[in-house]
Amino acid sequence: MVRAVPTPLRILAVVFVILTGLILLAPLVVVVGVSVSENQFIAFPPQGFSFKWYEKVLASPEYLSAAATSLQIALLVTLSATVIGGAAAIALHRRQLPFSDVLATFFLSPLVLPTIIYAIGMLMFWSAAFGPVSPITLWIGHTVIALPYVVRTTLAVLAESDPFLEEAARTMGAGRLQRLLFVVVPQCVPGLAAGAFFAFNISFDEAVLSLFLRKPGLTTLPVQIYGQLEFSPDPSVAAVSSIMIALTIVLIVIIDRMLGLSRFAST
Amino acid sequence: MTDRTENLILALPGLLLLALAFFLPIGQMLVLSVEGENGPTLEHFIRFLSDPFYLGVLWRTVRLSLVITIICAAIGFPLAYIMARVGARTRLWLIVMVILPLMTSVVVRTFGWMVILSRGGLIPDILRDLGLVNRNFALMQTETAIVIGMVQVLLPFMTLSILGVITRIDRRLEEAARTMGCSFVQTVRTVVLPLSLPGLVAGSLLCFTLSASSFVTPNLLGGTRIQVLAASIYKSVTQVLDWPFAAAQAVILFVGILLVLAPYVKMTGRSHG
Amino acid sequence: MANVRLLDIKKSFAFVQVLHGISLEIASGEFVSLLGASGCGKTTLLRIVAGLESVTSGGVEIDGRSVTTEPPEKRDIAMMFQSYALLPHLSVYENVRFPLRMRRIGSREEQDAKVKAALETVQLGHLADRRPRQLSGGQQQRVALARAIVSRPKVLLLDEPLSNLDARLREDMQVELIEIHKRLGLTTLFVTHDQEEALSLSDRIVLLNGGRVEQEGAPADIYARPETGFASNFIGSANLVPAEISDGPGGPLARLADGQEIPLAAEEKARGKVTLALRQEDISLVDASEAGALKAGLRTRVFLGARNRYVLSLAGTTIRALTANDVMLDDGGAVGLAIPADRIRVLQD
Repeated sequence: MVRAVPTPLRILAVVFVILTGLILLAPLVVVVGVSVSENQFIAFPPQGFSFKWYEKVLASPEYLSAAATSLQIALLVTLSATVIGGAAAIALHRRQLPFSDVLATFFLSPLVLPTIIYAIGMLMFWSAAFGPVSPITLWIGHTVIALPYVVRTTLAVLAESDPFLEEAARTMGAGRLQRLLFVVVPQCVPGLAAGAFFAFNISFDEAVLSLFLRKPGLTTLPVQIYGQLEFSPDPSVAAVSSIMIALTIVLIVIIDRMLGLSRFAST
Repeated sequence: MTDRTENLILALPGLLLLALAFFLPIGQMLVLSVEGENGPTLEHFIRFLSDPFYLGVLWRTVRLSLVITIICAAIGFPLAYIMARVGARTRLWLIVMVILPLMTSVVVRTFGWMVILSRGGLIPDILRDLGLVNRNFALMQTETAIVIGMVQVLLPFMTLSILGVITRIDRRLEEAARTMGCSFVQTVRTVVLPLSLPGLVAGSLLCFTLSASSFVTPNLLGGTRIQVLAASIYKSVTQVLDWPFAAAQAVILFVGILLVLAPYVKMTGRSHG
Repeated sequence: MANVRLLDIKKSFAFVQVLHGISLEIASGEFVSLLGASGCGKTTLLRIVAGLESVTSGGVEIDGRSVTTEPPEKRDIAMMFQSYALLPHLSVYENVRFPLRMRRIGSREEQDAKVKAALETVQLGHLADRRPRQLSGGQQQRVALARAIVSRPKVLLLDEPLSNLDARLREDMQVELIEIHKRLGLTTLFVTHDQEEALSLSDRIVLLNGGRVEQEGAPADIYARPETGFASNFIGSANLVPAEISDGPGGPLARLADGQEIPLAAEEKARGKVTLALRQEDISLVDASEAGALKAGLRTRVFLGARNRYVLSLAGTTIRALTANDVMLDDGGAVGLAIPADRIRVLQD
């Protein structure tokens, strides 16, 4: 076969990809590097090698409680976003509601609106309606921004499913609830699972909403990190961040195993 | 129960959630932005738009966002094209490379840049060693730092947006162009680029919107002296506690984004006819 | 097993009427094919019997009871879809068991016995634990069939189940369907556009055209005596040649456009302007000088393997003849045609 791309361009492409990869991944590598530094100052390349910052983090009450808060909320958000988003996706997929297209846009709208605008709105609304913010506020806020991801992944899976399955189930005697439980939901499971993991990741990593909707005692891990970065960073920040990076990698691997990442290349 | 009822029940929780917890708050913010002591007023908007400081913030936000978007497009397009044309295995790794930064928390990413760009950091060290800059050079707290950090944050959005479109371009069109005498570069310019325009435009809009509204990265990398609109909003809310003013700024941001998005939506809406 | 009655069924989608008053009776245990071209309404009619479509007017009775307003899950039916519609997340065994579960038929042990028996009937017992995606097209189709018969429904509905199979598999499956029908005796409604399939499988064929019943009857009857131009063209691929019949010395004589004359069977009553339906397979090629041979111009020969199809021009009309592959004539020139008089159908439009 004729080489479609001239060789100098190929070399250029490889160099380009490497450089781009550096830009994309350098910060993450640096963070991990700093986290094992012996020195108290944040510098890269790190001087010395030590896990003491990890030890410090794991013993620090502020970090631990922030992590606990993030974890609790993320788990709740995963549950609520998956159930609500999954149900919505099923209803949207069937296209039997009026204005299906408008509704689809409606459900995806939190994606379009910059989070900061939503954060302000949520803060002001909640304060006016309910007073001080609470973990519930964060739970609801995170669910709102995670919802479109679940809807999108579930719709993507449903779009590829056999459109005749429900009819076939009807001819086999399946009533409404039976069809939902035994045919439709099993079809959605890959999409729901991927959506759930995205929801967890979004909630756990979320910084903007959490910065606006915080109060003493209600601090998520990203907010805690942000606070440290503003004032007095030492490599323990890097240790926490590295743990978060590791968590993200684990999530990516899981999502790839479940659904295949290439599916999301064409979002 | 009819089909319609069943679907309504399925969609209802989501509809309620979004209506009450998304649209209502947005509405509340809109209301607050015109709140004054004696009833609805535009004083907050006027205050913003007549103060050169705030106009400077606005201009800086727009300017930086444009620069960031252009750079993302310039890097994102070739990257997306390469990703679309390599083998499946390589593409998977490239997708991971692109998605990994996307899925890490913005504070973590920005922290990484802080390390790289600060006075004792890697890049200034290298530049100093190469004799290009003097001893006091720091990339931190500069607009350049903001641009670099934001490009890393937003490049994946641009790339994935374009990738989605390029993968749908029939490869045979490029092959046909080659058989008609175009060089590789010409083919890219005359066939691939025009056809990937929808992805480029969508990605650019996304990048612009996200840059204009981000504040974690600009705050941390630019410092308090270099303020963008979102940082100003954050300050108004948390430090100055001037909520109506913050709301007004948020509305200005929102309107600005809509202004940029609207022609695009109209364009694509028409083509779907 | 039950009989099915369709009472003047009319169906419209939006403002388009697709069924114009179909009335049919299907006896208990009968295998009836709904035959027709795409768009004739046959699948819509099947779906109406299944309950997947509503009627605009008219009624459906199964076993003497009106089911017109009942949803499919309440009707005692089973349907086989063209795309098989196997549940991908269940094993073959669970797929076949699904109707028994949904309709709560029998205890777990009884269900197990029925599922195994159904899988044996289609010879897939050894694949019970596989997932549908691990099976070939033919195997998936047989799972769909096993799933359809396992609950012994009152009516078995088959929507072009063989059209996705290649020719060889299709022939095998047709034989299996015949054998299963003989053994189980289920009332069966079968939709197809393939006239050969309908001819080989059915007790009775209902030919549909434009949402109306064009003709119905036993396969042999329809084949031998199509009543309209459409019917004769659809079943048995007939050529249609205009002619005029008048009385001749030895009996009725059909005169073609170019003056050639064909003697018809003595019993032929029709006179005047008619259309002759000549089956491709009834025409043989003979020497042009033979007595009684019709003269036609040879345009092309198409080699089909076991047979040849000749495209000819007879009295200004292009016709086709299907013959064995022993005679290989080639283009150009005149040939002689012979058709037995009793094979010529006369159609008065």
